[in-house]
Amino acid sequence: MCRRLGWSFWLALGWITLVLAAAATADLLPLPRYDETLTGPPQAGPGPDHPFGTDGLGRDVLSRVVYGARVSLLVGVGAVLLGVLVGAPLGVLAGYRRRATDAIIMGVNDIALAFPALVFALAVVAFAGANLLNVLIVLGVLGVPAWVRLVRGATMVFSEREFVAAARVLGARDRTVLWREVVPNVSLPVLSYAFIGMAVAIVAEGSLAFLGLSVQAPTPTWGGLINEGRPLMENAPHVVLIPSFVMFLTVLAFNLIGDRLRAMTDVRQSNLEPVRRRTADRLPARPHDVEEGVLLQVADLRTHFTTARGVVRAVDGVSFTLERGRTLAIVGESGSGKSMLIRSVLGLTPQAGTLRGGHVYLDGQDLTELDDGQMRHILGTRLAAVFQDPMTALNPVRTIGAQVMEPLMVHLGMKRRAARARAAELLASVGIPEPARTLRRYPHQLSGGMRQRVTIAMALSCGPDILFADEPTTALDVTVQDQVLRLIQRQREERHMAVVLVSHDLSVVAEWADEVIVMYAGKVVERGPAATLFERTRMPYTEALLRAVPKLTDPAHHPLRLLPGRPPDLAHPPSGCAFHPRCPYARERCAAEEPPLFQAETPDHLYACWYPVGTGAGVVETSPEMTGASGAAEALKAAEEAEEAAELTELAGLARSPKSPESRESRESRELAEHETTDVIEGADSRGR
Amino acid sequence: MIALRLVRLLLVLLVVTFLSFLLLNLLPGDPTTQILGLSASEEAREQLRRELHLDDPLFSRYLSWLGGLATGDLGSSYTTSVPVTEALAERLPVTLELLIAAQVVALGLAVPIGVAAARRAGRPLDQALTALSFGLLSTPVFVLGVLLILVFAVKLQVLPATGWTPISLDLGWNLTSVLLPAITLGCAQTAVYARLLRTDLIATLQEDYITLARARGLSPRRILWRHALRPSAISLITAIGLNLGALIGGAVIIETLFGLPGVGRLIVESIFARDYLTVQGGVVLISVGYVLVNFAVDLVYVAVDPRIRRV
Repeated sequence: MCRRLGWSFWLALGWITLVLAAAATADLLPLPRYDETLTGPPQAGPGPDHPFGTDGLGRDVLSRVVYGARVSLLVGVGAVLLGVLVGAPLGVLAGYRRRATDAIIMGVNDIALAFPALVFALAVVAFAGANLLNVLIVLGVLGVPAWVRLVRGATMVFSEREFVAAARVLGARDRTVLWREVVPNVSLPVLSYAFIGMAVAIVAEGSLAFLGLSVQAPTPTWGGLINEGRPLMENAPHVVLIPSFVMFLTVLAFNLIGDRLRAMTDVRQSNLEPVRRRTADRLPARPHDVEEGVLLQVADLRTHFTTARGVVRAVDGVSFTLERGRTLAIVGESGSGKSMLIRSVLGLTPQAGTLRGGHVYLDGQDLTELDDGQMRHILGTRLAAVFQDPMTALNPVRTIGAQVMEPLMVHLGMKRRAARARAAELLASVGIPEPARTLRRYPHQLSGGMRQRVTIAMALSCGPDILFADEPTTALDVTVQDQVLRLIQRQREERHMAVVLVSHDLSVVAEWADEVIVMYAGKVVERGPAATLFERTRMPYTEALLRAVPKLTDPAHHPLRLLPGRPPDLAHPPSGCAFHPRCPYARERCAAEEPPLFQAETPDHLYACWYPVGTGAGVVETSPEMTGASGAAEALKAAEEAEEAAELTELAGLARSPKSPESRESRESRELAEHETTDVIEGADSRGR
Repeated sequence: MIALRLVRLLLVLLVVTFLSFLLLNLLPGDPTTQILGLSASEEAREQLRRELHLDDPLFSRYLSWLGGLATGDLGSSYTTSVPVTEALAERLPVTLELLIAAQVVALGLAVPIGVAAARRAGRPLDQALTALSFGLLSTPVFVLGVLLILVFAVKLQVLPATGWTPISLDLGWNLTSVLLPAITLGCAQTAVYARLLRTDLIATLQEDYITLARARGLSPRRILWRHALRPSAISLITAIGLNLGALIGGAVIIETLFGLPGVGRLIVESIFARDYLTVQGGVVLISVGYVLVNFAVDLVYVAVDPRIRRV
């Protein structure tokens, strides 16, 4: 707690304590009286006798500043107390009761805000008499609307939380709920604003005093001291500067304390935010060969974030290649590093606290060696991305036209008119009706499916070689999902581009991908051609993922199969194989040693597992080793698995072999059949989620 | 929708004028003393009270004042006999120029500062700018004014410390005379605006559409100014409206400090002279201005954020 508040907080608190102590004990301090004239030569600068110098009448400035602090602090604290005492109950009432009470209180409050506060304070103090009590009351009352608003807001936030709702449902009386649940939670924001309010009140009192409408002479006030010193500015600037500086420091200290306290209440501050670093270091990469004739080669790519909780290895040594015209799917649970892998390939990771390593080659050119300008050119013309949520993927305040036309004008140098015509063609090509009209519309005027089509059109606008689609259909309606995927695949065929498809929906992957990468804890745990990978799954994690897909053959009301356990904490991943705590087949070696990527007997198929499924080393064959009850349980489980493995093969059958030539008719009819099947699967899947 | 808001606007204005009338009239102090002096006889005062309708019930006085307001007559000053509307009309351009110039200074400084800080969030430049804003925020406007006068008028002698040249007389001198007051008044707002803009920009820069704009190979400068600035401006625009109250309070002090013949100084002078009707007129003018500006701010939202158009 002490560390979180920071050194500035304690410094500020120290200054306020000093000023407060001096003001309280002013009569006891060895100072001349504030109104004693000619304690030294007039207008003398700071010296040993008078640390702050003397003013035009030879009065000691230090003494006057210290006595002036009494007025400032009294008004500051008093006005805030008054404001809280009146405003906080009203605010709690408005925020807790809502409806009519709220409407009335806030209506009056809005009107009160329309009054020019300082002008009112001036008038009231002038007519009612300029003395400490009047100033305090006026400033206190003027602060009430702000207090009402603040406390109401805080109360509303808390009275919506579960524990308050629960207390209400349990029949606790309103007053009890308020005192026990709401007030303690509202008090920290109130305390924070109290300090800021004191700063405001001190400035307001200073302003009144500066205009001669606060406590009257001979009692010194800070504002009054500054005003008095103005004529002496040329010859004795210290008379103005010193009270100004003291006042500034005091106001600053109150503001700082309020600000630090507010930062404590800010729930957005978590320990996972990247720690800021000056330079982005590069992680070393393992030696590798640059393959020829490959469109995209990713070699030992790493992206680590330095956070307060330690280094998060979001992407940890990923390698793969991709050829033109192919679709590569990246699958894995949320948090497995799929999206970060894509951002990392594109160089879009946040800069601060990020460590990158490895290489990305596009047609043999190392993208990680490019400067920002060159990389922007590559991003604009050769690589493109589509993200998960079309609701957040488009800029809400710019028209569709402005957004689609922009890359055309920036990267292809098109003129506005040409760009507009091209943008309309692009929208038409992704199946948007009335493209010319859509260009003039704003994102919120389109449906989610239409928006995703727009983002695809934007991604395709400059004819990219690779489209990175990060869960492009997850946020969409089930009925639209297939249309969008179909659109992406059609564009892939027409443009002969490659697609990297991130998904956690295995039925989608099985239908569209040529190759699949399975990620776990930032690493590739299995990789291979889609059909092989689904048919001859080796990694238990992949198997678990496949088993979690609901199947048509499931009996009605069949319980959903879930992956047991939770995804690993990437800041502190488990030792050895990161999957071992959740793996049903894990043994001692799995916890001790991290498995490398093994080559399976089928070509291009790799897996990272010591005891792969469905091989001689796997669990089915070795289960007799187990003894007693657990052995029996294992055997039972193995039988179950064998049954399910058969089902998995059925699903894998959906995977399309890209090499098998098909006649147009047969393919269309097959696609139609698939369409129906996948729709149902997706339906079940989305219900499952 | 607009009609409903206009009705609400009128209601607020009615309440504001009534309350300010009530408050000013309930305060102790006798205008007749101010007009006739302390030595005047009680009969003479009685006579004057009747002439000025000070004896009438408060509510009927408010109604007649309101009737006058509808016809543009706010009465005449007790002390100078100048019609209040005339006095205000004469002073208003000065205050308006000061307020507009201050806003120009504030936004002119705050937008680059906020953008620069957000772009380098957490790095030394951001920390320095954040500290600077915090310092400015903690500097009372009269302290800043006195300091600026000390530096620019007394030491460097490049700008006048006080005085006002109307725009009709000489544009150059007019701008010179408004420069220091506008900077003083604007600086305090700069801090508020820059902090708001920085916070909102940092949030916007983490949005998907900004990452996607980067993925389309657009330059950081283009993304910042064309993509991120406008969606981040809502809080800033709200603050411009809500801060008007603080700004007017500041203007009262600035006009007194720099000797500008504006509405703020008129009100201060009238307060010292117990010139109720002029104070009342000034307060109403300011309140109406505040309400109208905030009404206009609501309309500006629509221009900035098309999503609000649906409502």
